[in-house]
Amino acid sequence: MTTATTPHASEAAHEHAEEKGPFSWVATVDHKRIGILYLLTSIVFFAIGGIEALLIRIQLAHPESHFLDPETFNQIFTMHGTTMIFLVVMPTLVGFANYFVPLMIGARDMAFPRLNAMSYWLFPLGGALLHFSLFAGGAPSAGWFSYAPLAETPFSSNTGTDYWVLALLVLGIGSVAGAINIIATVITLRAPGMTIRRVPLFVWMTFITAILIVLALPVLNGALVMLLIDRQLDAHFFQAHGGGSVILWQHYFWTFGHPEVYILALPAFGMISEVIPVFSRKPIFGYEFVAGSTVAIAVLSFGVWAHHMFAAGLGHRADLAFSAGTMLIAVPTGVKIFNWIATMWGGKLRFTTSMCFAVAFLIEFVIGGLSGITFAAAPVDWQMTDTYYVVAHFHYVALGGTLFGILAATYYWFPKMSGKLLDERLGKLNFWTMVIGFNMTFFVQHFLGILGMPRRVYTYPDLPNWGTLNMVSTIGAFVMGFSVLLFLVNIAKSVRNGKPAGDNPWDAWTLEWATTSPPHPHNFEKVPPVRGRRPLWDLANPGKNKVKTKIVEIATYDKAIVGVWAFIASEAMFFIVLILTFVYFNLSTKAAAAHLDVKTTGMFSICLFASSFTLHRSEKALAAGNESGFRNWLIFTILLGAIFMFGQASEYQKLFTSGLNVNTSLFTSTFFTLTGFHGLHVTLGLVALGVILWLGLAGDLKGRRHSSAFKAIGLYWHFVDVVWIAVFGIVYVRNIL
Amino acid sequence: MTTGELLLTAWQSDAFVYAVAGAGVVAYAARMQWKLTRRALWLVLAAVVFLLAFVSPIGVLARGYLFSAHMLQHLLLVLVIPPLVLSALRTGSKEADVAPGAPGAAAASGARRFMLPWLAGVSAMWLWHAPTLCDAASNSIGVQRLQTVSLLVMGCAFFWPIVGPRSARRLPPFGAMLYLFAACVACTLLGILVTFSPVEVCSIYAHPVDGLGAMPLLRDGWGLTPKADQEIGGLLMWVPGCFAYAGGMLAMFARYHREEAADELAAKEAA
Repeated sequence: MTTATTPHASEAAHEHAEEKGPFSWVATVDHKRIGILYLLTSIVFFAIGGIEALLIRIQLAHPESHFLDPETFNQIFTMHGTTMIFLVVMPTLVGFANYFVPLMIGARDMAFPRLNAMSYWLFPLGGALLHFSLFAGGAPSAGWFSYAPLAETPFSSNTGTDYWVLALLVLGIGSVAGAINIIATVITLRAPGMTIRRVPLFVWMTFITAILIVLALPVLNGALVMLLIDRQLDAHFFQAHGGGSVILWQHYFWTFGHPEVYILALPAFGMISEVIPVFSRKPIFGYEFVAGSTVAIAVLSFGVWAHHMFAAGLGHRADLAFSAGTMLIAVPTGVKIFNWIATMWGGKLRFTTSMCFAVAFLIEFVIGGLSGITFAAAPVDWQMTDTYYVVAHFHYVALGGTLFGILAATYYWFPKMSGKLLDERLGKLNFWTMVIGFNMTFFVQHFLGILGMPRRVYTYPDLPNWGTLNMVSTIGAFVMGFSVLLFLVNIAKSVRNGKPAGDNPWDAWTLEWATTSPPHPHNFEKVPPVRGRRPLWDLANPGKNKVKTKIVEIATYDKAIVGVWAFIASEAMFFIVLILTFVYFNLSTKAAAAHLDVKTTGMFSICLFASSFTLHRSEKALAAGNESGFRNWLIFTILLGAIFMFGQASEYQKLFTSGLNVNTSLFTSTFFTLTGFHGLHVTLGLVALGVILWLGLAGDLKGRRHSSAFKAIGLYWHFVDVVWIAVFGIVYVRNIL
Repeated sequence: MTTGELLLTAWQSDAFVYAVAGAGVVAYAARMQWKLTRRALWLVLAAVVFLLAFVSPIGVLARGYLFSAHMLQHLLLVLVIPPLVLSALRTGSKEADVAPGAPGAAAASGARRFMLPWLAGVSAMWLWHAPTLCDAASNSIGVQRLQTVSLLVMGCAFFWPIVGPRSARRLPPFGAMLYLFAACVACTLLGILVTFSPVEVCSIYAHPVDGLGAMPLLRDGWGLTPKADQEIGGLLMWVPGCFAYAGGMLAMFARYHREEAADELAAKEAA
């Protein structure tokens, strides 16, 4: 795309490309259709999660209720939390990102369309796995963060938690794949002129979110794997009676969990940053500060997880450090709020439903943010943690914040996706019922929390005011339920006979509005020139853009290489978790020295390290056009990798025969988990190298068609070797020192 | 002894420290041909911080009393002084910096240019906190001098690709952000290990030789048991250490926007 015209610009071409029939939706790799699939599937899970919420509220409507028994109540709040976070909010945000990121940067599609389809299909698979637990002996019931030891077999003996783990692993893999795709898309597929300084804020914030996903999700995956090994193979990572640590689970969960909060919030910030300027008829105030504060939030989010654990007894010193860090996060968030307000200041405001939700977002999110700051003070946290004050706080952030942002975005972008405007009258009704219902439900929960009502307990005694406040909350929840119905009716009605939207109903200025509504399968006939942050405004006001700047070429990067680097970052986080666990449990034991044979493994390790060198030679040979050199060095590499794997297999064999198993001790649990996952990665690398060899033998690499794929797999192989250097050093060599 | 007395009395004189600071200032002045510029203020600031790190109670407590004070000193040497020194060395004009040779060649050697500095910066944190080396440094004054100098050198190496004097040899802003982030992860890991480790990183801090008579104050008044002391040390590396890198990342982000804005302006003026 060196010129602004897409390759298949002719009318006939896209007529042809339009796929028809329901199967075309299953087989699609079009980012727009995948985006819509994400959104529709999320709506289904939203309905399920919403009904669960209403069941909870019916149970809590009055004191000493027995509408639900305690076990069912536990299952329902666990499913509600898990569903809303992993099956509703995250996929909804990914759905919007899928649909709009390529359009907003003037791209034809995502960087890896087929990977995109895979990411999507893992989502309903994960959802199905989670809900299959209902038919396999009961849903998970340990809460959405599945604290150990409650989530361990002695306390959660049905298979619900196992399905919970599997579902989250599947969803996690899908999310990471999707995030890698977003990163590669934003880095490599921007239209000419679209420098990073000019990308719409929704794109920027989605990009930062994708980085957070790539780094945070693997931490959860690592912990989930260990929990699963505990439950299925009787290890004791998170069980105190076998020497394991229950606090370690909390650390890992919140290392993921706190960035997750921003994974849920940042894209909504991005949506607000699109909606508010358009309906205020002003460019965003302080673009650099909104973009930069996002970076600050993302980095800080990794350093403050322990504020979720003030009640766990980390000690005053840790509490103090994390209190300070947490309060610091309020600064970049506050910067954003003021920027949005300043954007509206003096603007020509148009209170469409979308704008109404955006303004409501500002108010509700500030309330949620303020209650969040109160929690940053450890003593307040000790008093309020696990009460309804927490429930109120995170619903103000996740619902008043993220959901309101999503609704604003839906009213804003629905015309682009469907070609029809949503009904504004129904929309306003939707808005008011939502705002009233939401505040009724959750504002009173602040008071309930201060009065001491604990969360996650199926009922409560008839204390003064508790019944009344809870009843208000329940009525509010039903008002919200009614509002959601209105929203769905509005969508159904507008899809069929809404007012035609035209290309740019809001007179907006980002690139997605430059094409038809809905866009062609190939997105643009011609990408407008990008000379600033508001390309359509520049186009509409040629006189005002006084000097024509020339279109800057975007530095081109290979998407396969960008993708594999993002993947490596993600894998590195996964291995860091496994290595840290090993170190944590084996720092002061000498078990490794007693069981491991450093010399033999050292010999096999040399083979693996040598394979990085041979692979490098193979790459060199391919670049030089030396066919046989490439082939021979590659075969040699595969052989060396296979020898290493043989070494690992024989080592395992020896340990097994001497009676050491994954559940024997913490040393064996951590050893087999760490080296086993490394072995799995080597095996996958071998398969990938085999595929490359096969392609090479077929002559496919000659035309440089797949040469960047080879380079990408090479990087992955080197990475696996580097991980082994760390593992070998920590697990084996440390013992002889 | 009260806290006030400690802060007033616990100052020490150290010829080696004066020599290093003095040599640094003289070398800098000679390089700048004895002209006083505003940039020199950065160097003065670096020298002041360096002196405070050793002469003030931080330095006194770091010498055998408190691991946390040692960590604070360590962070100043690696994360605060080097960027100050490098800022002082920056030359004014941009054009004069451009390295001869094709830009492609510069990019090709890029990976090598930042791998070693990065490793230097991370090793500065990790190496000297291996219990053996940490003990060696606290037992021998020679090793301690070596530690001080090596930390400064490794810190400067680490920040060279970020705020090095020649802007053409620096990492592009987004690359610099990744560079800082990766270093932040590596140091956070060490901070976590030090905080939660049951093993003493430096055994000398468990049984200080109390020449000052400050131990009752530290142990009872401040409540710093050896374990608490090590925890604070780990947390210092973990939380404020991480924020130092985060601050660097934000500065790089600001630099990107500043440079792009300047480029856009230049393009407009050209057209």
